[in-house]
Amino acid sequence: MTEQGVGASLLRKEDDRFLRGRGQYVADIRLPGMKDVAFVRSPLAHARIAGIRIPDANRDRIYVAADLEGVKPIVAVSGLAGFKVSEQPVLAFEKVRQVGELLAVCVGASRAEAEDLAASVELDLDELPALHDMIAARKPGAALVHEHWGDNVFLETFVDVNMEAAYDAPIKVTREISTARQSMAPMEGRGTVAVWDKRMEQLVLHTGSQMPHIVRTGLAECLGLGQEQVRIVSPDVGGGFGYKGILLPEDICLAFLAMKLDHPVRWIEDRREHLTAGANCREHHYIITGYADRDGKLRGIECEATVDSGAYSSYPFSACLEAAQVASILPGPYDFPSYRCRTWSVATNKCPILPYRGVARTGVCYALELVLDAIAREAGIEPHEVRLKNLVQPEQMPFDNITRKHFDSGDYPEALQRAMAAIDLEGIRARQRQGEPDGRLIGIGHSIYCEQGAHGTSVYAGWGIPMVPGHEQATARMTPDGGLEIRVGVHSHGQSMETTLPQVAHEILGIDTAKIKLVHGDTEYTPYSTGSWGSRCAVMAGGAVATAAREVAGLAKGIGAHLLQADVADVKLVDGHVVGPSGSVSLETVAFTWYRRPQDLPASVDPRGLESTIGYKPVRDSGTFSYAAHAVVVAVDPEMGDIEILDYVIVEDGGKLINPMVVDGQIYGGLAQGIGTALYEEMNFDASGQPLASTFADYLLPGPTEVPAPRLDHMETLAPYTEFGVKGIGEGGAIAPPAAIGNAVNDALKGFGAELLRSPMTPRRVLEAIQSAKQSKEVLEMTQGEMA
Amino acid sequence: MKPVNFDYARPADVGAALALLADDTLAVKIMAGGQSLGPMLNMRLVQPDLLVDIAGIEELKQVTDRPDEIVFGACITHADIEDRRVPDVTRGALPSVANGIAYRAVRNRGTVGGSLTHADPSADWISILSAVGARVTLRGPAGNRTIAVEDYMLGALEADLRPGEMLVSVTVPKLGRSARWGYYKSCRKTGEFAHAIGAFLSDPERGVSRVVIGATESRPIVVTDAQHLIGDGRAERLDRVFDSHAAAEAIAAAGMADPIDRQTHVVALRRAIERAYSA
Amino acid sequence: MNTVTLKVNGKPASADIEARMHLADFLRDTQNLTGTHIGCEHGVCGACTILVDGVPTRSCITFAVACEQAEVTTVEGLDADEVATELRAAFSKEHGLQCGYCTPGMIVSARDVVLRMQEPTEHEIRVAMSGNLCRCTGYVGIVRAIQGVIAARRARGIAAIPGGDHRKALGPAGSGHATASANGTATRIRTSPAAPALAAATPAKAAAAPRQEADWKPQTTFTESFVVGHPVDEVWAFFDRIGEVASCLPGASLAGEPVDGHVEGQIRIKVGPISAEFQGVADVSRDEATRTGTINGSGKDKRSNSATRGLIGYAVKPGDKPGETRVDVSIGYTLTGVLAQFGRSGLVQDVAGRLIAAFVKNLEAKLSHQSGGGDAEAPPVITELDAGSLVSSVILGRIKRFFAALFGRR
Repeated sequence: MTEQGVGASLLRKEDDRFLRGRGQYVADIRLPGMKDVAFVRSPLAHARIAGIRIPDANRDRIYVAADLEGVKPIVAVSGLAGFKVSEQPVLAFEKVRQVGELLAVCVGASRAEAEDLAASVELDLDELPALHDMIAARKPGAALVHEHWGDNVFLETFVDVNMEAAYDAPIKVTREISTARQSMAPMEGRGTVAVWDKRMEQLVLHTGSQMPHIVRTGLAECLGLGQEQVRIVSPDVGGGFGYKGILLPEDICLAFLAMKLDHPVRWIEDRREHLTAGANCREHHYIITGYADRDGKLRGIECEATVDSGAYSSYPFSACLEAAQVASILPGPYDFPSYRCRTWSVATNKCPILPYRGVARTGVCYALELVLDAIAREAGIEPHEVRLKNLVQPEQMPFDNITRKHFDSGDYPEALQRAMAAIDLEGIRARQRQGEPDGRLIGIGHSIYCEQGAHGTSVYAGWGIPMVPGHEQATARMTPDGGLEIRVGVHSHGQSMETTLPQVAHEILGIDTAKIKLVHGDTEYTPYSTGSWGSRCAVMAGGAVATAAREVAGLAKGIGAHLLQADVADVKLVDGHVVGPSGSVSLETVAFTWYRRPQDLPASVDPRGLESTIGYKPVRDSGTFSYAAHAVVVAVDPEMGDIEILDYVIVEDGGKLINPMVVDGQIYGGLAQGIGTALYEEMNFDASGQPLASTFADYLLPGPTEVPAPRLDHMETLAPYTEFGVKGIGEGGAIAPPAAIGNAVNDALKGFGAELLRSPMTPRRVLEAIQSAKQSKEVLEMTQGEMA
Repeated sequence: MKPVNFDYARPADVGAALALLADDTLAVKIMAGGQSLGPMLNMRLVQPDLLVDIAGIEELKQVTDRPDEIVFGACITHADIEDRRVPDVTRGALPSVANGIAYRAVRNRGTVGGSLTHADPSADWISILSAVGARVTLRGPAGNRTIAVEDYMLGALEADLRPGEMLVSVTVPKLGRSARWGYYKSCRKTGEFAHAIGAFLSDPERGVSRVVIGATESRPIVVTDAQHLIGDGRAERLDRVFDSHAAAEAIAAAGMADPIDRQTHVVALRRAIERAYSA
Repeated sequence: MNTVTLKVNGKPASADIEARMHLADFLRDTQNLTGTHIGCEHGVCGACTILVDGVPTRSCITFAVACEQAEVTTVEGLDADEVATELRAAFSKEHGLQCGYCTPGMIVSARDVVLRMQEPTEHEIRVAMSGNLCRCTGYVGIVRAIQGVIAARRARGIAAIPGGDHRKALGPAGSGHATASANGTATRIRTSPAAPALAAATPAKAAAAPRQEADWKPQTTFTESFVVGHPVDEVWAFFDRIGEVASCLPGASLAGEPVDGHVEGQIRIKVGPISAEFQGVADVSRDEATRTGTINGSGKDKRSNSATRGLIGYAVKPGDKPGETRVDVSIGYTLTGVLAQFGRSGLVQDVAGRLIAAFVKNLEAKLSHQSGGGDAEAPPVITELDAGSLVSSVILGRIKRFFAALFGRR
């Protein structure tokens, strides 16, 4: 390892501009003549549009669906059999199907004035019965979100592997488990600045996007433009977490206005729009049964999973990715023989459900790991013993599990055992027996998961959604002064790729990272990519950069060999120099020669120069499997219901880490979001489908006092199929915490016989669980007393 | 999330502010630090014709020290109290509670008068000032009137302001040397709305024994003679004389029917007493 | 429009702005100081935190006009600041930032913590930083960076200044610099006449008639019973005078008499600084046989883009004593739109509870008044929700009972 190469905790190149307030986010873009946009949004979850009344004086600044000539709705299909297609209108007509749906768009000199215009619009909406409960929406006779479907199910899936063989298991534990609807809530919301570039005859859309190339494709299709007529610029982005991968109707509206009007337009999503109209995720419901032998050996898992997909299938991930994924990933890192899972992706009158860090895994991990602990309690053995009996063993690697997921490498039992040792299970059990002086109840819990990352063509081709990742491409190009530009189609918005991808190039070329510049976030300057999602950037963009850098290295060696008068087979690239048998020449000289003294080069020089655009795919593209064991000690206040995290341990294996500091940062940040899922974040709705969290006073994000500094331990099992043995780890931190914390809380409450099975585990839910356990105990004692 | 357009006035004194308030053809709103009103304006929940900014009025930032009490102008901020830029006469009660209000950046502008008038049941000032027996003075066309701070809140977001009136000052009694107080609030996260507040004052020299159950979704429950709950204040350990059963009854009698809410509010009070100290 | 002048990063900065422009927009849009970020625009997330008169302030809920002549420092003004310089190095070393969006606010708040707190524990630092949210880092690097800078400064013998070293004046930071006009009059800024005169939509039909969905149920329902000393027939007749019944609901009034069971009307609700005026129609139905009736109304508040539907049900029957009548009233409502979209439903219920308590009290008073032989047109006791008279002990008792009903329903 060099000080700057793969494996170095290099400080970030991007820090300085952010620390001085010089980042440039969408809202910071100033274009001459730019006007602001505000939307008229539906106040109702489900209604027929009887009329939209616009004052005559404002008519030229307000547009409704009928004005959007030639604009097509957003359609995100899935190729899975039985998928029902929804059309998400850019501006609603006939019906609104969620609160916050766009009804009209207003253009003002300032955002305040645009909001004044929006307030001048009067809506005549005939309210229809709203679906706010996915289980009710699934049932026959429910009101219909999309009438022509006949029901509200986007997609139903079913998988069965020899389930009935498990039915004679001595332990059978069934639980109803659910996770709340959440909001990704990056600190920066969405935003779009659109302008028509007259010279280039091109629509330029500045929008904070994780996936600029995908947005370009989707946008061009909705607007009927050639893709060369659309340029997406994604500048600095204040966090994405999935929300900024989506093509929004707002983007299309802004693009339409930019083409229709003779000035740039800007929409900056405010927090109320973000929470109530756009950024929703997570809501899962499980009825799950674990079958096991008395020693804790799993015989099978049977599950009915329902996901509240909201009103529309969003582009490009579709409405069914989440639920259908549940079926394939529910078995987790466990090896057992019987499995059955039925899933429903259900349409309701809520925002479309969008992928959020961890996507379906957070809910799946919560459901499965809570059931494993319930099995342990039933069997009377320590929960980690149950896991150790069932985890895939290192000698099984590579391992194809019951849903044919291909586990590439790893030692899961080792991770769990290290975590249990670090958290001091014995010590905590002793402390529990002693009791706490303040009357709180201590609980210990853990969970383990696997995170499939960078899964590619072979996985996504089967989903049949609008986007299938293929080869990831990168451009590496030396500059005349010996520096390097790297161009990638993924986007870095906190992942630190302006630092880590130069580290990868440095590893191969030896060029000082200070002289390596990452160009990203602009479809005009970067190769096509599906973008930043699915824990894929380190593996895919990292692999692509390594491949391109290697190409450039070969080209540089060719030029260097000529300058050294050596055979190319006899030269090596060492520390930024081409080294031959009898001397060396720096890459600066090589670059200077190619660009500025071509007269020194022979006619036979490779005409590709010092530049390469090339694609990369891992040897096998079924995905990398990183994993971690989380262990946590909590104190539950049985009087107030408060939960405090006393200690948190994470043992993680992400294969080779390009920059360990950055990986730690991803884990810390993921943990904070996982704690949000576990304890704080909840997007509630009332019976008429009104979202009840429109501010950060209603929707609680964990702050500094709600998140502990965990203790981290790293394992390093190289990925067998990827460059450097790297695995994707970006989402993992957010997957395990609800399960680990949930198990710890249930461990703390086991004296009451109380269990919490819904996240977030709020003080009220804690107290309700204790209360209902006490009541059932009293009833039991009463009955027993009567019987005695 | 931008406010409606409004006119803005910065009166030089209370008289000028009252004159502006007197115009009943307009929706006139008073703003002090604006830390509660600001969000409501941004969200267009409040749509005034005229915003009267009283934060520049000198009288409202004055402190008057009297033998038995101290009078704070309405625009004294939470940070002024937290940092003890104004004298503390409550044996540390007000600075300690001020330190836990929202966040520092909010405390640098948010005012005592504004918080009380906003009348959020979960806010801190209404509960702790009720516990120490503070009074508020309101000035309007008919002159001044002074009422107990707990009577100032009528219900959620509703203060007892008559037409044309504004809050001008808060009067806090000086506590006796052996006075003890306690304050406990239960929040889901630091700085957020409280879900249960317990507060008490035991001041045997002045013969005062008060208990407050706050964050009830409405007015706080104030027991002005709380000897039956916490004794006369002479016990060394007040928590040993605290009658939690009687407190639970008081809370139930006040109409709080949900057993979990009752439990958390009793516990908040008990913890306020357990953590009591004399500064 | 009005010229507002502040001292920003050491230099005078003026702009012609509307009074409604908050400080963050002033800095970003008129001074192009885009380092101050807007994350929530309601004072919770802390991304917009800047220094005003030297102390941290939320620029998204502080109006620029209220800070006339104040000293403002943004992250751009901290380039040469000693503490900020140390913090920048520490944030980078500890990886205290990822996407960078919360970072300027973090630096401003962290600087305040470093200056004010002598030897804070890790927990105290976390509490002090709790007004700044970060979605990326889990705060680990941020807290370590602050710890490191404090430790290094204290080791160099630089002590904290409790309360900060900048603030001596009382009152809200940023306020009080502008010279108020002499003779006690107010400095007043009027909304610019150049501001677009926004036309209102032409009033169409008063409102859509409430649909008679059989399965519509109010989300929140209060029930109340009372006995009046008056014969059933007369009480039943009273309920037929819909205008009078409506007038018992504070702020409600009807446009006329019902036609074919429909009547137009409005209800004006004022809660502290919030006011809403729901205009709509009601359907009235009565069943002579069972002596029950309903008033089913719906209305919209144009200003807040909110709507409400309400259902008043009543039943009258003979009381225990001759000549007495027992009245059962249920009032339910559903609120939709902006006013409904908050988590603290308890507050809305408190307001609704008070409104309905006033309705019942007025109803009782009117019926009693009539049964006492008084003028049938006697005015209701409570005409506005925010009237001080609402806090009579009678009403408080009722509120408590309504609460009992409410909490029991959770």
